[in-house]
Amino acid sequence: MKILIEREPLMASIQNVMKAISSKPTIPILSGIKLEANQQEVTLTGSNSDITIESIIPSEEDGVVNIHEIVPGSVVIQAKFLPEIIRKLPENQVELSVDDDMNVLIKSGHAEFKLNGQDTEEYPQLPVLQTDNSFHLQIDLLKMLIRQTNFAVSVSETRPILTGVHLKLENEQLELVATDSHRLASRKINMTDTDGLTFNNVVIPGKSLSELNKILDDTQEPIQISVTDNQILFRTKHLYFLSRLLDGNYPETSRLIPNQSKTVVNVNSKDLIESIDRASLLAKDNRNNIVKLVTQGQNILQITSHSPEIGYVEETLETNAIEGEELKISFNAKYMIDALKAIGTDQVSINFTGAMRPFIMQPDEDDEPILQLITPVRTY
Amino acid sequence: MDNKLIFLVDMQSFYASVEKSANPKLQDHPVVVAGDPERRSGIILAACPIAKQYDVETAEALWQAQQKCPDLIIVRPRMKLYIELSYQITQILERFTDQVEVFSVDEQFLDLTGTERLFGDRYTVAHNIQDEIQEELGVYARVGIGPNKVLAKIACDAFAKKNEQGIFELTHHHMKDTMWKLPVGKMFGVGSRMEKHFSRMGIQTIGDLANYPVQYLKKRWGINGEVLSNIANGIDYSPVSTQTHNGQKAVGHHMTLPRDYETLEDIKIVLLELSEEVAKRARAKNYRGHTLSLGLRGANVNDPTGFHRQIKLTSPTNYGMDLFHAALQLLNKHWDGLPVRSVGVTLSQLQSADVYQLSLFNPSVEKDQLSKAMDDIRKKFGQTAIVRASSLQEAGQVFDRAQKIGGHYK
Repeated sequence: MKILIEREPLMASIQNVMKAISSKPTIPILSGIKLEANQQEVTLTGSNSDITIESIIPSEEDGVVNIHEIVPGSVVIQAKFLPEIIRKLPENQVELSVDDDMNVLIKSGHAEFKLNGQDTEEYPQLPVLQTDNSFHLQIDLLKMLIRQTNFAVSVSETRPILTGVHLKLENEQLELVATDSHRLASRKINMTDTDGLTFNNVVIPGKSLSELNKILDDTQEPIQISVTDNQILFRTKHLYFLSRLLDGNYPETSRLIPNQSKTVVNVNSKDLIESIDRASLLAKDNRNNIVKLVTQGQNILQITSHSPEIGYVEETLETNAIEGEELKISFNAKYMIDALKAIGTDQVSINFTGAMRPFIMQPDEDDEPILQLITPVRTY
Repeated sequence: MDNKLIFLVDMQSFYASVEKSANPKLQDHPVVVAGDPERRSGIILAACPIAKQYDVETAEALWQAQQKCPDLIIVRPRMKLYIELSYQITQILERFTDQVEVFSVDEQFLDLTGTERLFGDRYTVAHNIQDEIQEELGVYARVGIGPNKVLAKIACDAFAKKNEQGIFELTHHHMKDTMWKLPVGKMFGVGSRMEKHFSRMGIQTIGDLANYPVQYLKKRWGINGEVLSNIANGIDYSPVSTQTHNGQKAVGHHMTLPRDYETLEDIKIVLLELSEEVAKRARAKNYRGHTLSLGLRGANVNDPTGFHRQIKLTSPTNYGMDLFHAALQLLNKHWDGLPVRSVGVTLSQLQSADVYQLSLFNPSVEKDQLSKAMDDIRKKFGQTAIVRASSLQEAGQVFDRAQKIGGHYK
């Protein structure tokens, strides 16, 4: 095998597949990157027990030549040193060749690296996904869906199913839900041309989604998503991202969302984020990061926090409107800030049903069906 | 900082002395306090000075002691009584200063700095303390005196226990002629393993350790190396703290089983009991914990097996069932299936129970109410008034343990 390749696309592909390479792999060979070259393209593969990433470098695309010379072949190269080696090569072109004994020679300018490669025979056969359950999304939209829900997954292994984002497609509507049992993020979008495809209880590990989000560029190109019972595949022109799904039944979350409210607050998100952020400066020291919110009259919110050993902070915030009963409620400031950032609109409306009940936040204009729910902190 | 007047007051053969003063007939006989020989707790907890003349040692098996001294009188421990007496000793000591730290059931630290004008010089005070404890409780106390806690402790352990008056003072001045001559194993903080390490480094006495370059000790043992070097040099800045039991880090409960448990079913029963016990104690102290750890020791003492693992809970809790489910998860994951000798459950990362994050799936308010109802029933009708049904099985230990403290009868 021999390729003469531009350094930049190679570097980008290596970085993509590195996301799937674990420093402590279950099978030793999975600490390597698999390189395969055929006449048209070079494919890089990285894999761990949860995800597999393939990144494809076409020899030529849109008139730009990536690969100048290809002699087909394949090899597995230790991933630990490869990114740094390629990054620091002196020239913009890299010559990578492999002899029959799997010795890898990387040449660029006057620099030469000789690395010990491994035979791809040793590399496990990666699962081939066979399904007709596919649909398309725009990449930037997918990235937004991930950003708006994935932060709410659980980091605790006590209930593994909650470490994933639940995906459901029904009646041409795609719904993503994530919850760590203290807060919940839900986002729905309407789909067209799904060909009547429906699925439920597809739970993608939160880690997989955050890696996927890092790899994908914010473009309007389409991404194909295919679902089976235990795997999900995201596929763009040059990327193939396969993730294991979580086992088990995702809890029914729709019943957790209160459908009536006693107090409704309408407020500018940015102002609220900033004042909660200030109040939480003193709250960060205690474990629950507690901020207290009290309604005052028709349009004032009082936001306070105190730590016995440190001090007290108080601030008032003018809202657009407060309707309904008076309210005193305490909650985790971080949950609130995460949720407000995920909603991302100028104005939000917050619906409370008492100090001990979960409250929901939604954009003021209802054109984007996004919902953030937070359970309060109980104080005696 | 380092020039205070600290006493360590230590009770001679505490449990045995208490029993002897409670029963004058025992006065001139060799007496030991020991657990039930039928059970694993059948070891010597305390031996009186007469028994010690026969070479009876604390922590050896009862049968071994009986071989050494056939006339041995064996008394069952009464843990509740000892704890009460320990508290009475604290009250006696508090006549001299309010700075009393309960270090263990039979050892207490006193900070007497600045009391010379009130009660006379240090030796007079030490004698008075001995007399008052002897007179009121019939227990002989030894007093170690030092400018800090560590020297007071070593003064007591290494010298006061051995001399006539039962009083010894260790100062920075004559530390070199006395403490430094002692083998390093006698020092507070050096166990048998550490002693072995030191001996390999050519450190035999406390003086050797004191003069050993601290940077090498620090390199090998980190902070602990420096601390040990400081102790050998008689340096200790830790204050006498009256609040030993406040600011707790964890609530745990451990039990050595009456026999080796071999089945998952049996282990589950004690696991639930331990979880309930830990939860109950966390509630009594108004804590919730966020991390649960499970420790398990295998039955074969010669080939130690077992594990100690922890898991982060979904949310801070003091509800017994939550602890049990987490502990069971750990058990299923890490238990090798070999017979089990002892089990321990600990709840850590404690925080106040008053403030907690509500959960979407966990009906935490209901759990609190249930816990409170159980606590109230126990308070009114006794610890075994309400127990889990599984505890009625043979492997259950609640009824037995309800009569005990620290694994011995009250």
